[in-house]
Amino acid sequence: MRTALLVCALLAAGNPYEGKPDAVRAGAKLYGRHCAQCHGPTAEGYGRAPSLRSARIQTAAPEELFHTITNGVMRRGMPSWAHLPAERRWQIITYIRSLK
Amino acid sequence: MEEPGNLEVAFDQVAGKSFLSSIMELECGVRTWWTTEFYLDGQATGGQGALFTGWRIENRFRPWMGEHRINPVLYVEFEDINGADKSLKEVVGHDVADDQLVPNVEARQDHQRELETKLILSSNVRGWDISTNLIGEKNLAAEPWEFGYAFGASRPLAFAVTPSPCTFCRENFSLGAEIFGGLGTWRQFGLTGTSHYIAPIVAWQLPSGAQLTVSPAFGLNGNSHTLLVRFTVSYEMEQIGRLFRRSP
Repeated sequence: MRTALLVCALLAAGNPYEGKPDAVRAGAKLYGRHCAQCHGPTAEGYGRAPSLRSARIQTAAPEELFHTITNGVMRRGMPSWAHLPAERRWQIITYIRSLK
Repeated sequence: MEEPGNLEVAFDQVAGKSFLSSIMELECGVRTWWTTEFYLDGQATGGQGALFTGWRIENRFRPWMGEHRINPVLYVEFEDINGADKSLKEVVGHDVADDQLVPNVEARQDHQRELETKLILSSNVRGWDISTNLIGEKNLAAEPWEFGYAFGASRPLAFAVTPSPCTFCRENFSLGAEIFGGLGTWRQFGLTGTSHYIAPIVAWQLPSGAQLTVSPAFGLNGNSHTLLVRFTVSYEMEQIGRLFRRSP
């Protein structure tokens, strides 16, 4: 119960790296390592992996993106990335949101 | 689990007293919930030469997608190896250090077809990867089930990454530890006559995509090897399936 509350509090706090240029560059590095293989080097998508520049992704709440990266999307073949520390998942989100 | 479409190639070495075993692994992500892997085993023993000891094929299935507090994975492996195999991928039953003293010329006559199953329970807690393996292995030639366990935890030295590319920075290193050993057989379950190890683990992710892992395993009782040095180099080839597909 305490863990669930802690997670809720963290999610409610939003992206701790939002608007930080260093986090965008760090996120770009992580994107190249973990995400570009499916979403493409320019994040425009490939096959079942959607474009991360689309309006749907760019207007989604950061917490929603965090949830998707953490849990994966089975029907689209996206695995869970929960093994990446939360800080790295937020850095990736910071980079993705910088693409608009 | 391996990401769907990726192929990881790994070479594992285990150095013990007067022997060096080698495994080549090809691991492929088939689906989000299914990973398959093929192994070729060999070993070299001081004064007895080197030999191929067999092959294995395994499949891992993740029944529940999404992230849970505990994430189970079901593991099924078929092994066709001979008694000279010294890969020590895991310890089960009454496996002991003296098993490796049988000369190769004699041990290789013992042909083993085995089914190995594991229930892998993993969790991600505040940046720590925690994993428990409960192992059951059955020699298909009517011997009883043998059991073993492995418990490990690891975490990266830095949770967030730095903006610049780097090779030796903390974010590229993970530290952890593992404890593993045998739990006897269906007929003689327990710790009597079993061997156990504790092993610190250091992993280094290179910017090129290769990963080096070093793990010295220290024996915890008289049935264990005093020291086994495990070394792995692996490289992940991303989305190799696209090499054979036309662009969309």
